[in-house]
Amino acid sequence: MALENTLKKLSVRSPWLFRINAGSCNGCDVELATTACIPRYDVERIGCRYCGSPRHADIVLITGPLTTRVKERVLTVWNEIPEPKVTVAVGICPISGGVFREGYSIEGPIDRYIPVDVNVPGCPPRPQAILEGVVKAREIWLKKLGIDQ
Amino acid sequence: MSDTLLAILHMCIFPGGAFALLVGFFFKGLDRRVEARLQRRVGPPLIQPWLDMAKLLTKETLIPNTACKPAFLLAPVFGFTGMAVCAAFIPIPGVYEGLSRMGDLLVIFYLLPIPAIALMLGGSASSSPFGAFGFSREMLMMLAYETPLLMVMLAVAMLVGKSMAGGAWSAEFSLLQIVSWQQANGSLGLNPAMIPALCAYLIFLPGTMGVAPFDIAEAETEILEGPLLEYGGPLLALFQVTSSLKSFVVLGLGVALFFPGTICPWWPINLLWFVFKCLVLMLLSLTLVKSATGRYRIDQAFRFYVTVPTVLALCSLVLVWVM
Repeated sequence: MALENTLKKLSVRSPWLFRINAGSCNGCDVELATTACIPRYDVERIGCRYCGSPRHADIVLITGPLTTRVKERVLTVWNEIPEPKVTVAVGICPISGGVFREGYSIEGPIDRYIPVDVNVPGCPPRPQAILEGVVKAREIWLKKLGIDQ
Repeated sequence: MSDTLLAILHMCIFPGGAFALLVGFFFKGLDRRVEARLQRRVGPPLIQPWLDMAKLLTKETLIPNTACKPAFLLAPVFGFTGMAVCAAFIPIPGVYEGLSRMGDLLVIFYLLPIPAIALMLGGSASSSPFGAFGFSREMLMMLAYETPLLMVMLAVAMLVGKSMAGGAWSAEFSLLQIVSWQQANGSLGLNPAMIPALCAYLIFLPGTMGVAPFDIAEAETEILEGPLLEYGGPLLALFQVTSSLKSFVVLGLGVALFFPGTICPWWPINLLWFVFKCLVLMLLSLTLVKSATGRYRIDQAFRFYVTVPTVLALCSLVLVWVM
């Protein structure tokens, strides 16, 4: 039991990120890539790694207002991610719909379908904000594992 | 009986199993750190591979409905066992002599592709189309990089064999003999005839480890990590352990083939010296290349491997022949 708790405490120091583009204009995706690639905002220093497979993911970063065409796919991919997972909505689009709000092809905001844990607003959000969102997501992940700091 | 027990201990604790894992994870952590520093980033802490392991052990394992369950579950175990056994065959100069007395170079040649085969097995058993892509790419890569490896091994074996037989036509496939011959007659890595073979071996390393620019089978941006796509949790952790053991094996083999010198009769120093030499090999052939390159297409990589390292290894083979 003690070993399990130790493993859980250590596990949040290795969050693997997975990006889902739910019909985003690509602005937020560029910022996400920036967060990973540009030395100043190196996301790897808190143990993160962008992974290609939803099966490996711990923290899901969703961008875009959830358009009608991608809705089913986004929900399928999101369901493929093993528990425990933390969902982060990046950009204003998944949070409220942003400039696309109430458009004919928009199904969002995304928390009508998926429980969102952290909101990172902005159009696009700054890399610092995304980093802070990931750090917040780690705290929520700890809570989901049943460990109080 | 006690010989068998000793062999099993060598496979599980030193130098296979536990020790190889310790060294392999240290290399992996350092590799990520150095890569980050080369790109002027901060990089993850050195213990990151252990943290990843802890995380993967707490995650749930999902098995696809359509997967072939026994093969899917056994593939990572198969790869891990193969590598743990293979690590016991690697001699550590001045510390450990290797498990076998004769022909162990050939045994290592047969054991080395096991992780790749396990990856192929797991990928095809996962029933994912991306797994099938990964399968075919991994197999092509294997076909491409096994040839130069065999020729490098042959060049080393023939040079040592000819010298030991006094110029007669002979090959020596015992790693222990190869190591002790080099300790008496100077390292092969400094022998002009062997420098092309050393280059071929350095080129072989990123291919067999599946790192950029040859991470084609597990390309995460194209085919979603291919064979590893459906794996998660402890099974994925086992694949990572296998890859770390493999890095220990291929780097240790490089040291044994080309630079098996010792600096001191006391074994702990020799052990550290061995790890240091492995580290230099890794930084040169894996980390530096990885941090500066993108990814080849599979046809480009195949063409590269059947030309450049094969020709280099062939050069050494011919040089040994005529000398």
